[in-house]
Order: sequence, then C-alpha cells, then structure tokens
Amino acid sequence: MTSSEPTTSDQLRPTPTDGYPSPTSRLQTATEDILRAHQPSAGTPPILNRNLHIQYLLRNLQQGFPERYTSQDASQTWLLFWTLQGFSTLGIGLDDRTKQRRAPSIDTLLAAQHPEGGFGGGPGQLAHQLPTFAAVSALAIAGRPGPGGGWDEIDRAKMYTWFLSLKQPDGSFKVSHDGEVDVRGLYCLLVCATLLNILTPELLAGVPEFLASCQTYEGGFGSASFGEWAFREDGHAPDYSAPRPTLGEAHGGYTYCATAAWALVQPYLRLYYAPTPAGPKPAPTISMRGLARWYATMQGGRAELGGLRGRTNKLVDGCYAWWVGGGAAVVAGMLKEQEDARAGAEELQEGAEAQNEGWEDEEVDDSLLNRPALQQYVLCAAQHPAGGLRDKPPKHADAYHTLYCLSGLSAAQHRVVPNASRRATLRSSWDADKARSMEGSATASSSDGEQSLLDELRRESFVSALSWLEEEGTEQYVGGAVNRVNATHPLFDLTVTHAEGIMAHFYGQTLPVRRPQPRPRNKPADA
Amino acid sequence: MSAAFDDSSDEQQLYAADPEWADVVPLQQYEGVDPIAPIFYSEEYKDATDYFRGIVKTGEMSPKVLKLTEHIIRMNPAHYSAWQYRYKTLIALNSPLKAELELMDNFAIQFLKTYQVWHHRRLLLGALRSVDVAVRELAFVTRTLRTDTKNYHTWSYRQWILAHFNDEARLWPGELPWVEELLEEDVRNNSAWHHRFFVVWQSGVRRDEVDREEVLRRELAFTKEKISLAPNNQSAWNYLRGVLDHTHTPYASLTSFVQPYTVGAPSDPEDSIVDLENPRPSAGAELPSLPALEFLADIYEAEGGDGISKAVRIWKSLADEHDTIRKKYWEYRIKDALHGAQ
Repeated sequence: MTSSEPTTSDQLRPTPTDGYPSPTSRLQTATEDILRAHQPSAGTPPILNRNLHIQYLLRNLQQGFPERYTSQDASQTWLLFWTLQGFSTLGIGLDDRTKQRRAPSIDTLLAAQHPEGGFGGGPGQLAHQLPTFAAVSALAIAGRPGPGGGWDEIDRAKMYTWFLSLKQPDGSFKVSHDGEVDVRGLYCLLVCATLLNILTPELLAGVPEFLASCQTYEGGFGSASFGEWAFREDGHAPDYSAPRPTLGEAHGGYTYCATAAWALVQPYLRLYYAPTPAGPKPAPTISMRGLARWYATMQGGRAELGGLRGRTNKLVDGCYAWWVGGGAAVVAGMLKEQEDARAGAEELQEGAEAQNEGWEDEEVDDSLLNRPALQQYVLCAAQHPAGGLRDKPPKHADAYHTLYCLSGLSAAQHRVVPNASRRATLRSSWDADKARSMEGSATASSSDGEQSLLDELRRESFVSALSWLEEEGTEQYVGGAVNRVNATHPLFDLTVTHAEGIMAHFYGQTLPVRRPQPRPRNKPADA
Repeated sequence: MSAAFDDSSDEQQLYAADPEWADVVPLQQYEGVDPIAPIFYSEEYKDATDYFRGIVKTGEMSPKVLKLTEHIIRMNPAHYSAWQYRYKTLIALNSPLKAELELMDNFAIQFLKTYQVWHHRRLLLGALRSVDVAVRELAFVTRTLRTDTKNYHTWSYRQWILAHFNDEARLWPGELPWVEELLEEDVRNNSAWHHRFFVVWQSGVRRDEVDREEVLRRELAFTKEKISLAPNNQSAWNYLRGVLDHTHTPYASLTSFVQPYTVGAPSDPEDSIVDLENPRPSAGAELPSLPALEFLADIYEAEGGDGISKAVRIWKSLADEHDTIRKKYWEYRIKDALHGAQ
C-alpha cells in the first residue's frame, strides 16, 4: 500500500463473542489466532511470489498431477482451465514459457468432448455442464480458428441439443443426465451459450424466474429452488402462486454463479419481457440492494486480513477472493450501468454534454469491497511458501485455490466494468448477417418477427458481454505495481482479450480497436 | 486418495486378470492423444476405469457393473459418470433400492462433501416414493449433521426431502423443535437459521401455523431472545431482517428493541424495567453491535427527511470508526440514500 492505514478502534479487533462462545465462535477465534501471525509487518510491503507460482503451474502442466489428484479425475478439463487461466492471470501466454503446449492442450480438451454433445470431465465420461464450461473456457485460452485449433471442433449444434435435453419445467437445467439441478450448472451453460453464439429464447425460457427464486432472505443465492409445487410433471399448467423455496443457504459459489448469470440474461430480460400484443409479461426481479449488502458482509475484519468468507458465520477462504470478490465486481458493474443510464437520461434532458462525461460527478471507485484488504489476504495468507496458493495457512496449495486466489487478487486490483462508449462502438460495428450465419444451435428458422428479435438478442448478448473493460486509472496494487496480475472479465474469469477472441470468432465479427479508457479525474484513495 | 479406502480392498485383483471380466474389452482413456497434465493414477484405479469405459461403450448393465462402479466410487466418489451408470443399472436390474440406500449410509459418512453421494440418495428416494423411507432419511440426516453441522449438501438434501414428500403429519412437525436444539448448541449456525426460514416462511403453511400474525410474533420473540444472548451474531440479525422483509413489517416497529444495542455500553440494569418484548443485551455483550447500528440506520433511512441525515451519521461512524473494513460499502449507502432523497 502506498499509504498507511488509519488506526481506528476496529484495528485487529477480534470478532466479538459477546461472552457467549459457541462452536462457530471458537473456530473463528482459533482461525484469527493463526492469521495473526500472517499480518503484514509495517514497512515491508507484501510481495506476490510470481516465479514460485509460475513454477508451480509449469510443474503441473509439464509433469502432470500426483496420485492424490485422482479425486479430480472427473474434473480434468477443470485442471487444465485452472492451470491455463492461472498462466493468463500471471501474464504468461501459451507461446512463451509454455510453448509447444498449445496443441496437446487442445487435443486433451477435445478428447473429453462427448459424441452426443457437451464435454465430460475426461474422455469416456458423461457430458456435464461443469466440465463443459471448463473445456470451453480453456479452449478460449488455448484454441484458435481453423483445423486443429479447437474452436471449430466444438460441436455446437450437438451441445445445444444436449443443453435442451437437460431443461426442466421450472426453467432450470440438470447438470447432466440424471444429475442435480443448481445455479452452478446454469451459469456454466449460459457462459458456453454466450461465448459460442447458441443463446436462444428457447434455452432462456424461465431462466430469470428460476434465478430470482434462488435468492435467499440474506440477499445471496442458494444452490437451487424447489420447483415441484409450481411446476407439476403431470402436464398441468404451472401454478405460479406456489412457493419455490430455496434449497440451501446463501453461499459464495452459488451467489457468484447466480449473479453472473443474472448479468448474462439482462438482454433477454430487456427484449422479451417488454409488453407484447398479448399483454406485458412481468419481468422477475431480484433485490440488488440485498445482494450488494450480502457481498459486503462477506468480508472478514482486519483480524482476518480482510479475506472473504462464503457464508454468514463461516471462515474466510482464499477461493472466495474470486467467488465473492468476482461476484461483487459483477454487482459493481451492474450498478455502474444503472448509474450511466440515469446520468445519460439526465444529460439527454439537459440537452448538453458530450459522451463519456457522465462519471464526472460520481465517486470513481464505487466497489462494494475493501480491495486493498482483500489483496492483503491473498498476498499474506493465501500464498504457500513453496508456490501455489491456498485456502488459508497452514493448508497446502492446490490447482483450484491457485487460480481462484489469483483471480480474486485480479478482481481486487482492477476495476472491470461495462463501458458505455465501448457498447456504442460495438453496436455500430455490428454485422447482423455474419452473426446470424455463424449461429451454432442450428435450430429451425422462425417467423420474421421472431427472427429479428433473435437477431437483437444475439447482438445485445455480444455487445453487453464485451462492453466490460478495465477502467484505466482505477487499478490499485498493494505492495506496488510489481504485484500486478492481469485483469479478468468478471462474468467469465477470462482475460478480456480471450473473451473477445473467441466471441469475435463465433459471432463472425471484426472487433473495433479498443482505445485506452479515459483516466478518471479523482484518483481513488489507497485504503 | 486410495489410501483412505484401503479397508475395502486389500490387494484388489486387477480386472485384467479376472476371468469374470474376460468378456469385457477395456478401453484406455486416451487413444491417439498424448495428454497434457495427466493425473498419475494407481494401477488399480486405471484398471477399473479402463473396464468402466469398456462397459459404457457396450452398454452392459449387469450385477458385475454394480461391483465395478462401487469399486470406482470408493476410490473416487466424485466420479459422476460411475454414479450415473450405477443408478441406471440399479433401475434396469430392478435391484432392491432400500438395500442400496443402506449401503449408501456408509458412503455418505465417508464422503460427506461430495455432491454425488447426496444426489444418488435423492434419485433413490425419488424412485422409492415412500414416506417411510423419507422418515428414515430425515433421521439419517440428523445423525450426519451432528458431525458436520453446516454441510451444504446435507442441508439442501433435507430440504428437498421435506418439500418433495411434503407430509404434514410425519415429516414437518419435528423440524422446528430440532432447529431450536441446533441453535441451542450453536446460536451462530447459519445453516440452522436458514432452515428455520425454509420451514416457517418458504414452504407453505403448516396446519398449526395458520395464524400468521401469531407466527410472526413468535418468530420475532425467538429471534430477539437469541440476539440478546449474542448481539453481534450476524445470522440472527439476518434472520430478523428476513422475517420483516418477508412479512412487509417496517423495521421501525423494532426501534425500541434495537436502540440499547447501538450504544457504547450495556445500560445500567438497575434503571431498566424488564421488558419481555424487548430483551436487553446480555452482560457480556460487546457494544455497540454493528448489525444493530446498521439496522437502526435502515430505520432512519426509511423514515426519510431528517431521518436520512441521522442514517448518514451512523453510516459515517461505521465507515470511519466501527467497521472501517467496509468503508466503501457504507459510503455507497450514503451516496445511494442521498441520491434517492433528491
């Protein structure tokens, strides 16, 4: 940090136990005792052990994973995604220190593709939403157009058919045949459909309603909701007044997935819930306020080094640096978009001002979390001294925590938000015919009216996903710029460049050059 | 990982050497591909999964498939394809599903944290369609939660059982007393609080809870009591907010309850009249309670007018003094309230 933090009454204050200890508070206190030894020492800036982490990732990639990773045999595409995205975050491309790894990565990923569509955790495994997401994301990093490049070998038509075969009457999806329903799987599906240009109203039907029903009274989201009371399997019409209770409490992993999914369905919500000749279809809503509050309450105090927890009264864990930190970044981006829209409307009314100046009167860094504190947790507690990152000391590093701690560090360093002028540029350069010709679901063509609405859905999904850009001048590096990691797209956990590459390909678009974003007038405070 | 399950298989004979498996052609995982970042499997695991791939390819569903999938699952309980194939085989063979459920008891305890263990039980219960079995399952879940009181999958499984079988007489009545027991043991167990919300507010109306006003009074009294024991317990405050939001009850109706929690020290018990409706912070309370301050600010904000500046004063004290880690969030609340007030 470039300036020291103010001394206040809550400095290192242990979480209060109110003289009424319970199993939860005992565990909390014990954890704070461990973390105390990892508090940053005054005058010594924390350092990201970049080379150790690169060595850790390289070892996994080149030598493979030891036997204990057998537990990840059904997550092989995840192992690759965690590793490749870890490299991207650390600024290592597949063509420098990992050269000659591109083709084998692509081959390995494609070997997990199921003949009937989607990807399994490895070859010969059942197709499943989660490894499908991991494979597509890993291919976004390692793949490229053309034969052997991986992208054109993804069977999108079959994937789409398989997606639809998993759809449930309440709008949700099973993760696999005979698998469970939850918002993780739904997020994975929406990301794949968005990146690969196979997002249709048929796929999205009931999705916003399902998502909304997963928000709990705490503001975060649970795993799923129970739909059988409202949606009966005997063919009766749905009973929309029946309760759809949430299964499981608000949880960081599910909340990230639901938040990002909610952002991804915004174009559908705007286009398909508008009044129709048959009358307006009421758009489902979530409490953004409740959600913002939930994210904020997940940040631990200074005694926990500002790390993030995944549920109320649970312990902080490095992986939530991403699930909660990334989810909070999505909310911050959505709030900014509302703000932009409001400022834009005001400007129109006043008939004044050029583009891009709507932010001038606004607080520049309106993140919900304490970004420097979160960086401190990752740097001081989550780095394993031998390389790789972890949940918390004294645990070992693993492939999963290594990526999500780094992604969380990235979310805490950079502010990546929807940019109104980029949105306008992407819209004006949009080629609707090419995008339609590249559409991959291969579904039968519909009426002209439906077709033009679908064209709009395709354009808006593309534009809104790629309008997220880093706002230059808002980066904050605890320990100095030497600790910088690459910015990551809050909806995908890919770099913006990788998201652009794969989407430009599958939508047949040539992307306009990105110009550096204007530097905000007010430099944000350090802490 | 296999070391943990060695009790099930000392010196397991490889399928490759087993005459019973001679009719199955094992399938290597990678053919014609030199995989990057491979996992170094044990011989035993590699052999078993080679035969599993062979079975999947031919579609064989026989008793020996049940043995094979059990063996794989014991080595890697996250192998969702083996679980799914096992389930399909059980159904195809018309196997006794209750026996499968009993076998699963031991799995669940050993592999508490995997999705598949719990999802498999759910499939079995769905196929068995028996409230008797559901009653047995609730008891099993109760036992399991004793060792891991916040296990996410176990909790959502329990909630699914309750909703799916929805038996007024045999399933729902035990839930509330049980939640109270759990909160007695650990008032900070957020999973138990969520379960309470699920049971009382989200899942329809129980026969003896038709008077919703009375239920609301009961829940407020219960929650206030729990807050007074541990005034900084976020779980109880969140439940309180949840109940008020759900029933559209203004937060301001609790002003006199909240006030004593927002001051610097417990007030002198001598001068306080015992008010059963508004239990005061316990003697050990560390005050002010941050959730109470936040709650009071919300009351002021909803008041509007002068209330806004009172709310802003509290948010500033949180941002600058009591809860500086969340400075950004409190500043966002200030901005939001001031903007809305324009």
